[in-house]
Amino acid sequence: MPRIAVLPNAVADQIAAGEVVERPASVAKELVENALDAGATTIELVVEEGGRALIRVSDDGGGMDREDAQLALQRHATSKIHAAADLVGVASFGFRGEALPAICSVSQLEIETATADGAGTRVRAAAGAILAVEDVARRRGTTVSVAQLFYNAPARQRFLRGARSEWRALADAVTTIALTRRDVRLALAHDGKSALALPPASSLRARLAGLWGGRYAEELIDVDDVYGPTHVRGLVERPVEVGTQSRRVHLVVNQRAIRDGGLTRAAEAAYRSTIPAGARPSLFLELTVPGELVDVNVHPAKTEVRFRDRWPVERTVEQAVRRALGTLDSAAGAGQRFWGGATLSAPLQPPTVDLEVLRAAPAMDDGSLFAAGDAEWDAPRGATVMSAAAAGPAPAAAEAAEPPVEVPPLVQLRRTWLMFEREDGIVLIDQHSAHERVLFEKFMQALERGEVPSQRLLFPMTLHLGPAEADAFEANRESLERLGFEIDGFGGHALIVRAVPMPHPRFDAERCLRDSLDALTGDRVAGTAARHERLAATVACKAAIKAGDALSGDEMRALFAALARTTLPAHDVHGRATIVHLGWDELERRFGRR
Amino acid sequence: MKVTISREKLLEGLTAVGATIPAKTTLPVLSNLMVETTERGLRLSGTDLDIAVSMEIAAEVDAPGAITIPAKKLSEIVRELPPAPIKLATSGEQRITLESGRSRFKLLGLPKDEFPAFPAVKFTNPWKIRSSEVQKLIAHASFAVSVEESRPILNGVLWELRKDVMRMVATNGHRLAKMETPWSGTSEATDFIVPPKALEQVRRLFPADEDLEIAQGANHLGFRSPFTAVYTRLIEGPYPNYEQVIPKDNDRVAIADKAALTAALRRTSIVASDQTHRIRLAFNTGMLKFSVQTADVGEAQDEIPVRYTGDALEIGFNANYLLEILRYIPTDEVKLTFKAPERAATLEPEGWSDPAKYLCLVMPLRLVD
Repeated sequence: MPRIAVLPNAVADQIAAGEVVERPASVAKELVENALDAGATTIELVVEEGGRALIRVSDDGGGMDREDAQLALQRHATSKIHAAADLVGVASFGFRGEALPAICSVSQLEIETATADGAGTRVRAAAGAILAVEDVARRRGTTVSVAQLFYNAPARQRFLRGARSEWRALADAVTTIALTRRDVRLALAHDGKSALALPPASSLRARLAGLWGGRYAEELIDVDDVYGPTHVRGLVERPVEVGTQSRRVHLVVNQRAIRDGGLTRAAEAAYRSTIPAGARPSLFLELTVPGELVDVNVHPAKTEVRFRDRWPVERTVEQAVRRALGTLDSAAGAGQRFWGGATLSAPLQPPTVDLEVLRAAPAMDDGSLFAAGDAEWDAPRGATVMSAAAAGPAPAAAEAAEPPVEVPPLVQLRRTWLMFEREDGIVLIDQHSAHERVLFEKFMQALERGEVPSQRLLFPMTLHLGPAEADAFEANRESLERLGFEIDGFGGHALIVRAVPMPHPRFDAERCLRDSLDALTGDRVAGTAARHERLAATVACKAAIKAGDALSGDEMRALFAALARTTLPAHDVHGRATIVHLGWDELERRFGRR
Repeated sequence: MKVTISREKLLEGLTAVGATIPAKTTLPVLSNLMVETTERGLRLSGTDLDIAVSMEIAAEVDAPGAITIPAKKLSEIVRELPPAPIKLATSGEQRITLESGRSRFKLLGLPKDEFPAFPAVKFTNPWKIRSSEVQKLIAHASFAVSVEESRPILNGVLWELRKDVMRMVATNGHRLAKMETPWSGTSEATDFIVPPKALEQVRRLFPADEDLEIAQGANHLGFRSPFTAVYTRLIEGPYPNYEQVIPKDNDRVAIADKAALTAALRRTSIVASDQTHRIRLAFNTGMLKFSVQTADVGEAQDEIPVRYTGDALEIGFNANYLLEILRYIPTDEVKLTFKAPERAATLEPEGWSDPAKYLCLVMPLRLVD
């Protein structure tokens, strides 16, 4: 007897089902995607026991005729592609023709479908075999009911989690689709209770408002940027909010929700130095990449994509998010913000973007805090220098003269904040945080390039350090020298400081050095980049002017201009807000004018 | 109290004392000035608790007395009055009336007892110094004090009285100014560290040809002439050993035209960094080249002829420090000396006939190539 045999279809289907159909959530996802591919505008899901007992997906899409309805249950039967060449640039969700047969092979499945209101077809199947084909009267569209999932595959059934856990996964999957396809009305009911009822939404923000409330959606910042052929848009969390609620990440590439550690990390990298280390921001980002630069046919569940060249895409994401964080909108708002109707009723943005138009005007900083923000996309400065240096960008661009910053009239409040008026409200700048940010970026540059003028001292300072501080000094000695401190060890724990940087006229070098070493004590940060960042942040914090320092008009203007030139003006290096924006509407509300 | 005084005299006194009166204060009486009658007329006094200034002006006293009056209001009123005699009279402890021609004012003051007592300085055995000599030292040294609060000792000017010389030194740790002038008035060496604000009052208020009496109290220094007195708190503590940092072996010497040097520095420093004002000087035989490179701004080059001996030298400075010193150099030519790019440079007047000696010192900025 031959030892190798071709598996019967039923067994092969069950094995394939293992790839596509892991749990109720994946069933729901496949069925909803089918409905979307059929052109549905309304999709209703009914789920029982977390999908273990029943998943029913009804749509108002194109429906199938009787022949198609039966064919759909066969493996590699798909209406979506017809030849291998169609795989490149495939735009529909499904195309492998695996889903329905796979699901069918492990459940009791029923399809009701009609291509027009009236006469339709009902196909009943179980364990991959069609049991009955009947006439049925129904509206146009398709309803697929999957009952008793894995009833014939006990091995798989054992691996299902509890109903609540499966329900959570299923709801997540539906949420992802809801975020991706905002034009569709979606309803989800679990055990007879409505869980989601989402009307078609005009924007990502509106859909998020439907999912998690207007307040949540309102607090997010817009990202919208084009670099080369890649367009990034979406919403990200304000740095001040990061860590205050559960983290949500939603990535979409060419309308397809995916998971991608690289892109997530790139977006997180943009937050660097604005949030505490370890905090993870919520991200809702949608990328439009030319079809030929991305391969979606990588994973059966289609949650991964492969980029032809992933580096520029990641860089674009980082830049786009960083730019968004650089706007005033990313600053902390004052008082409660209200979910205005304006955003909801904003005209629906077509998903395709005229890339040329955006590229011709890369300074998309209408929302940028400072009228003359940095327009050079190619000249990343400050904290991005690190990553840019690795890519070898054109340094010539960075040499180019910067446009002068227009400084509005500034007022100092309580020797702590600078205030100025903007078209849409009052803006407050925390002077210490702002200066810290300015110095941080300057010090990071110095650490990368080692170019800080250092003033030699007439009377060298002698510092006596404790053992821990002496260790901190030894660990950071070279970096401190790059920052402009010229220090001789003097045996034991005494240091002689012969030259110091002069970042500003009030700089107190001795105190700065002492406090910095104190703060760096016991630090064990791995990696040069992280160490530099830590050092720059520490020294910047200690070197910056403090709350309570009275500033002259010139000093305020200089600080403002310097802040405007930083890459992330709205956030200080500890993740606190540098800038708070108090809108006129908020003021008017407080005065009872609206 | 009842006095009659000319507007000009009163205004003179108000201007002299007003500079010391703090604009904002937590102690309300400090924004007032004390007005009291004396045998010679009227004494006006003001203080911010660190410095106290008083000035006597001629007035016709009808009834003696004293009161404190809001200084700002009083000087604003007096400034707006026509040049005519002014009558001041108190009514009760807190009210004063002011009449001039047909103008009448009533001002609310505070009782004189609330005004802080002036520092107790006994002029029993004072030092006597010509005010022009002190003022010359002040004018050339006090600009160099530190404005940063971390080392309070450097916020003051060191004033050394020696057997045959007196000397003022000021530094902020990056640059230093020192002037000394021959003087014989003491047998024992004495040092004070004086706040520059007080010295500024000394420079401003005493006529150059007066002889000053100077005396030391517990923690105060008093300056007085027949009509004017300035008291100041002294800064305590040991002043750093400045002698030690003044270079003795600078062997590269340049002599430059002060106006040309100043002009070139001013021009090129326009593109220097706002924070460090870094500028690079390159000395060669006969020529001094300036260059500035600032990452976000641009570049500048310039050169002027100098008389230079020694090996070629490149050295970096904060242009503002140089420009500031050049402002105080009393001669048309300035002598600069150097040792090495990381060592202190000196600037001195060249060809100064004055018996005084003046020396300024600047620490360089590190140049990165």
